[in-house]
Amino acid sequence: MSYALNEVEATAKRAARGAGYDWGLSEEAAKATRWLCAQGLDGAAVLAGLLEAGYAAELSAHVPQSLDGSWSAQAPLCPLATGAAISDCAAGLQDAPLSLGQVSQPAMILPFAAMAARQLDACVTVECEGFQAVTDGAALHCVGDLPDAAARLTIRAAGSLSNPYPTHTRAEPEEAAWAVLNRFAHKTYAPATEESRLLGAGAGLSDND
Amino acid sequence: METTAQTTISRRDPAQVMRLSRLGSLHQCRLSFMRVLTRRMARENWSFARPKFDIDGNGVGVAVYTAAGPARTYSLIAFAHDLPPEMRSDRVIATAWDATFTLFDGVPTDADIERLSKNVPYQEAGRVNEKSLSVSRANRSVRLWAHFADALSQGQQPDPAQVDAVGYLMRTTAVYGSGKLGAADREAIADRPELNAPFQAEMLSVYLTRAFVRDLVEHMARAKGGENAVPLAPETARRLGIGNSTGLGMAPYIVNHPVLFNNWIAAREEAIARVRSVETASAEEAACFRRMLRRSELSAARWHSEHPAQIEKLASLHKDLEALAAWAAADDLLNDHPWDRLIRWSETALGLEGQELAASLILEPYADLVDGLSDCMADANKDAFIIDGAMPVSQVRQLIEASFAWALDLDWAARENCARAWYVSEEKLEPRMGERFDEPIAAYEQPLAPARDAAAAHAALADWDGDEPVAAFLLRHPEHRHTVRRAQMSQVAPYGEIRSNTISDRVLPVDMLRAKLSFFGATHFDPRSDRWVRICMYAGAPYPEDLTAANADLWVYPEADQ
Repeated sequence: MSYALNEVEATAKRAARGAGYDWGLSEEAAKATRWLCAQGLDGAAVLAGLLEAGYAAELSAHVPQSLDGSWSAQAPLCPLATGAAISDCAAGLQDAPLSLGQVSQPAMILPFAAMAARQLDACVTVECEGFQAVTDGAALHCVGDLPDAAARLTIRAAGSLSNPYPTHTRAEPEEAAWAVLNRFAHKTYAPATEESRLLGAGAGLSDND
Repeated sequence: METTAQTTISRRDPAQVMRLSRLGSLHQCRLSFMRVLTRRMARENWSFARPKFDIDGNGVGVAVYTAAGPARTYSLIAFAHDLPPEMRSDRVIATAWDATFTLFDGVPTDADIERLSKNVPYQEAGRVNEKSLSVSRANRSVRLWAHFADALSQGQQPDPAQVDAVGYLMRTTAVYGSGKLGAADREAIADRPELNAPFQAEMLSVYLTRAFVRDLVEHMARAKGGENAVPLAPETARRLGIGNSTGLGMAPYIVNHPVLFNNWIAAREEAIARVRSVETASAEEAACFRRMLRRSELSAARWHSEHPAQIEKLASLHKDLEALAAWAAADDLLNDHPWDRLIRWSETALGLEGQELAASLILEPYADLVDGLSDCMADANKDAFIIDGAMPVSQVRQLIEASFAWALDLDWAARENCARAWYVSEEKLEPRMGERFDEPIAAYEQPLAPARDAAAAHAALADWDGDEPVAAFLLRHPEHRHTVRRAQMSQVAPYGEIRSNTISDRVLPVDMLRAKLSFFGATHFDPRSDRWVRICMYAGAPYPEDLTAANADLWVYPEADQ
């Protein structure tokens, strides 16, 4: 089924929150998933894969232990928290490339590389073995296939974008991934009670007059 | 924001403007989205047609209304239903309605109508595609509809007193846009000049809906009365608006879109500052103000509410209108910054309803200073979302203090300060507000208490070296990421934060609803509880076939002979 990108964004935000991420990172997840879909990639599948890994329960184990030098942790890096940090530290990419240790769902790094590119007003290149992506912030071009996990990832303020993917205004996520997002999103909904039915939306007076 | 106009008087302080009690007293103005739309359609000489009206004697069928501008045509597809009374509910959780609508991008084919007829009548249970720009539904006002259909069918015109008491034949209970239910995203249409200002597709949908409702009641009267039936007198039709019943679902919008909401408020504040900076007014400008003040009195006289809080506010407004009239009669309104003097006087002499009415009214004589600001009300600043991680911790602290100094010392653990929690219900996926200490909802809380969250982030930031980049703080404290983002947004959106506690035991969500609806151009706010409000849209507006540059703008103010 075809979905509006706003539907993707809203569902992704609720899903990330339902999986246990804080609101700020859930907002990042939503924008990132939307951005991937706008490039014609299945952002919903990428996010679903990440949420099923369950990193949010112990996020501090999956974020870079230091922002100096190479970024790594004992466990695989969460691409949402790490991606947000890449965007936060975009200025540093002008001085030196950034190298990451093991990253789960590295496709989720790409939207954050794009945010860095927009801040730097320059192309950013993301590379791992057998894969290279270049983004100018708005558009993307990839060579090779992204694995579900990358042993190392390099991010540089470099590259040029001569042949970007056409951008998409609708998303057609794989149904199974979409169902996973909705399953996580459902965890953010409070079970209805009689009291909430009556009071929560503020009705009570007749609305048939 | 345009910077061509010279202002010697600065915009009002966000600390004054953004209190919820004041936001809950806002009135429509020249920048309201309905007026922006009708001005444009008249200026560009849009043409309107009704290529289809295929509705039977029971009021069941489909109609199409088209609005053609210089570059594109839009069509309202209206599905009319025969709804049993027991199924009629204005609650967003309803499952059937008297009429359902979609605003179609272009002119629909029969196949489009066939596809939409299997989806639009089911609203949330259906799907549309990017050819739909909005999806909405409406219910009849039972009292007024029956009276109109009966009277017209018998060759009589409806009783004006009943028209005044209700104001509309149908009220919409939701108008969904921007990607909802599969419709086109706002981003897909935002670069069209006619849809660039906020909510123009939704406002066009409601404008055409009003014409459909008038046609439908006349059709039903003819079906019932045959040759005895008469059409609705144009002056009565003109007084009818479209009602709208809005619940809590809309309240989070102004919190969730701080840059957009800022742009609305900032545009109006800039307009107010420009007019206050006018040194001398012409006789015609002063006369225009006095005419609109007089017509506002008529509008206020037709504004009814049974809600105790609104009854009190209306009493205050009536008193303020008398004081305003007396002030305007005693002053020539010509010299020595007349509008600034009026505003400064209003702040000492009037309640919030009167102050904000005065602020809206002084804009009326100054189309040239004000109307262009409607181009600044959309949110095109997508990068405001991106956090500047290099910003030092000390600067983030300062930004939080600028918006939330009033909240930092509040005891956020005290029950009265966090009595409420916003959540989304499993049942209908709609935002609701509940009692944190009485209901099991805290675990599901939505981030709609920016002041509380700002206080928490500010406390956490206090432990950090002020020179550290905030990126390092956020790596360790992802729970404050949304607050740091909002704090940085406040640099481009000084009017983006509500300066009141949105989870206190005294919060009135209807204030949030009114703030938003006033920018639509709504009038006659009628709260039905502290979290549900009815309004009227387009009352007094010319119908599509009568729209001209002469009547496209000031219709919101009733005329004495109407």
